[in-house]
Amino acid sequence: MSEHLALIVDDHPTNRLIATTLLRKMGWQTHEADSGEAALELAARHDFRLVLLDISMPGLSGEETCERLRQQYAGRNIRIIAYTAHAFPEERASFLAVGFDDILVKPINREQLQALAQIP
Amino acid sequence: MKNRLPKFLHGIRGKLIAIFVLIKVVPLVLLAWFAWYTAQGLGDAVSQKAADMADTSLQTIQDIGKTVTEDSIKALDERSRDAIETLTTDAARNIARFLYARDADILQAADSDLSEAAFRRFLAQRKRTLYRHGPWRLAPDTKTWEPVEAVSLEAKRTRPILPDNARDFHLRPPEYLGEPEVTPLFVEMTYIDLAGNEKIKITQGDLTDKALKNVSDRRNTFVRAENYFAELKSLKPGEIYVSDVIGAYVRTDLIGPYIPERLEKIGLPFSPEKAAYAGTENPVGKRFRGIVRWATPVVRNGQVTGYVTLALDHDHIRQFTDRLMPTAERYTPIIDAIKGNYAFIWDHKSRSISHPRDYMIVGYDPETGHPVTPWLDTELYAEWQASGKPSHEFLADIPPFRDQRLTRKPAPEQIKAGTLGLDCRYLNFSPQCDGWNALTEHGGSGSFVIFFSGLWKLTTAAAIPYYTGQYGKTPQGFGFVTIGANVDDFHKAATDTAEKINTLVGEKDRQFKAQRSDLLEGIEQSLTTTAIGLWGSTVAMVVVVIFIAIWMANLLTARITSMIDGIRAFRDGDLRRRLDDSAKDEMGELAHSFNAMADSVEESFKRLEEAREKAEQASRAKSAFLATVSHELRTPLNGILGFADLLRSDLQSPEHLEYAKIIHQSGEHLLTLVSEILDLAKIEAGEMQFQQNEVPLHGFLENALAVHRSSAEAKGLTISLHLAADLPDYLKTDATRLRQIINNLLSNAVKFTQQGSIVLGARDEKEWIAIYVRDTGPGIAREDQEVIFEKFKQLENFLTREHGGTGLGLALVRQLVTHMGGQVSVESEPGQGATFTVLMPKKAQDE
Repeated sequence: MSEHLALIVDDHPTNRLIATTLLRKMGWQTHEADSGEAALELAARHDFRLVLLDISMPGLSGEETCERLRQQYAGRNIRIIAYTAHAFPEERASFLAVGFDDILVKPINREQLQALAQIP
Repeated sequence: MKNRLPKFLHGIRGKLIAIFVLIKVVPLVLLAWFAWYTAQGLGDAVSQKAADMADTSLQTIQDIGKTVTEDSIKALDERSRDAIETLTTDAARNIARFLYARDADILQAADSDLSEAAFRRFLAQRKRTLYRHGPWRLAPDTKTWEPVEAVSLEAKRTRPILPDNARDFHLRPPEYLGEPEVTPLFVEMTYIDLAGNEKIKITQGDLTDKALKNVSDRRNTFVRAENYFAELKSLKPGEIYVSDVIGAYVRTDLIGPYIPERLEKIGLPFSPEKAAYAGTENPVGKRFRGIVRWATPVVRNGQVTGYVTLALDHDHIRQFTDRLMPTAERYTPIIDAIKGNYAFIWDHKSRSISHPRDYMIVGYDPETGHPVTPWLDTELYAEWQASGKPSHEFLADIPPFRDQRLTRKPAPEQIKAGTLGLDCRYLNFSPQCDGWNALTEHGGSGSFVIFFSGLWKLTTAAAIPYYTGQYGKTPQGFGFVTIGANVDDFHKAATDTAEKINTLVGEKDRQFKAQRSDLLEGIEQSLTTTAIGLWGSTVAMVVVVIFIAIWMANLLTARITSMIDGIRAFRDGDLRRRLDDSAKDEMGELAHSFNAMADSVEESFKRLEEAREKAEQASRAKSAFLATVSHELRTPLNGILGFADLLRSDLQSPEHLEYAKIIHQSGEHLLTLVSEILDLAKIEAGEMQFQQNEVPLHGFLENALAVHRSSAEAKGLTISLHLAADLPDYLKTDATRLRQIINNLLSNAVKFTQQGSIVLGARDEKEWIAIYVRDTGPGIAREDQEVIFEKFKQLENFLTREHGGTGLGLALVRQLVTHMGGQVSVESEPGQGATFTVLMPKKAQDE
């Protein structure tokens, strides 16, 4: 079960809903969190294989959350993908630098998501 | 030109120091060098002069010494020669006078009574004092002979010498010639009749035979050698006959001192009494005894009745020379042959008749009456031996004085035989013989010097002017007296003086050398002192000058360097730094000007900084704004597009599906617009960053085309790629932006072309790569061709959708291409389609 467990973190319910819908269609079981803190809490209780993580959130930012998740999941198999409307190339480079595996730019594109979030 | 000066000279300080040193040190060193050079030159000159002076003085002294010595020697030699020559001639004259007195005797005898008594009376009246040395004996060491009683007369003085006479008051003792002995002159007096019979014969001493004999027979004469009777017969009354010296020869065992060890050496018994007398060499030897016979006719009543003869004792003749000494001694009681100072008498035939060594006086063999063979040289001796004749016969045919020279050697056989009579005519190893004859044969006298028997000898000769009888045949007369003298003895005083002078000169030489070396050393020392002082003070002054130079340079440059430090600090960012401009000189003015400039620079910097900060702030705000706008616009679009998409997959009704599709397309369009606006804004803000990638042109353009293939084909358009053959494989540029440019152009072409074809092409154009998109769309009016690249031109048609709306696509293309160093242009005629060409530089753009 846990092998298809994905976490969508976004303070914006619409964004969470689209991502959740699309991921479920692809066969993922999903949890949602509206903040970094909530995400870390959920991550402590579940064993996620995939995290779609928004960057601009009140409280813990996406980058900070990503770093902590990496610490929590040290040695475990997890893909953390930035789920963001920050589309400028320099921004993208900074996300990869803090530990994101890939970037999914909003507005979401089904083909792109399918390519990034293939169930292993 | 490069600066070749050493590093320390680059600064003013270094240059100042260098100039100081150059101006001060160089002349100083030159001065010191010149002084040193002069001092050295002076030292050298003084040394040279002093040395020369010393040498010259020494040379002068040496020269004077030498000249004085030589002159003295010469003077003394001449003086001595003169004295000895005088002595010789005096002796010769005395002999002649004595002989003439004997002429008177014989004439008187001829007139006397012819009786024994008268003869005795006559003889008794004719006596003369002879001086004889006392008894001698062999010295205890047997190497010399010595007098039994040595006689030495003192120069006695009993009265004081008057001051007037004191100078060179020279007193000699009484001359000691020996012990006086009154001796008869004649040893025999005879009266001979006309037949040669001795009628009366009175003898004195035992030399001659007392018996009366007939003298016409030689065998009845003295040593059987007299033949006077034959001569007498030819004498006229009053004429006088005088014979040669006749005596028995006395032989010797050896030449030189007759002492036991020498005889032992030749293996003969020591019997000095049997050998010939030889003065100090053998004072006890057998003496030569001879006679000289005078004769004259006895006339009675006008008739020659017979002859009277007188035989003179030869001792009286030799007495004239035997006591003579050619030295300061003047006279000697005994002759010392060894010393080479003695006198001789030679007869008219140049035969020795008086000699310190009796064995050298020629004599006769009493057995035969013939002369004993005189001493010959080896050559003549050999000739004689070869002739087989008796010597007197052999020698009668030999020319006298034949090739006499010192290199001839005496015959050793005769030395052994002990017959060494000197007959100058045949004494060919003694060239003096010839010399004496050369001096005397015409009655003269003189001298010469000869190296003989290892000594330089002055030898004099004087003819004896006695010309009676046979002696009147030549001017040489009776013969000649010779005196030999050791030359060195004459000038002993001079050589002594010379020795003294040489000692003095040597002393002086040493003194001069010492003085000279002292002087040179003094000069050297003084030069060293001078050098130390000169160079020491020069070095000290140089050091002082350098210190002063450095100090002055520091003083002069301190303000400049502090100014430089201040300026440097200001340049390095310390804009608050100001210079000390309190001084009222040019430097102060300079500092003041600098400070003013610094103030304005600081002010400018401040304003610049503020402006920069403002700009940065604005830029930051703009960037933040753009990012926020992008973010904020994309967030709702996420919902719109996301759900439109979901609807499209979930809705069944075609009508609803169409609505969802429109929503989606509108969202896509909005997204594109948003992206393009943001890109333009970003370019405007200078926020756009371009990458440099190696873009593989073929694959890249194929992919770019492939994106639009489906949409083009969906509209029934053909779309194709035209790549020139000479297209390079790679182009260095920003791949993302190039893709964006091509996408924009292609999507426009697809959008506006209703039928026909779309071509994406690329070709090489010198420094450019030309990428073009050609369509068969409606074309663009010429007046619109520039407008389409201007941004927002289409904004007014933004919502008209008349052309589907490109929004800001071409404006963005132009901005991107321009920022990538390229150009974009369009060729089109309305209704003829359009060709958009992008020229990208081959050469990579610098950021």
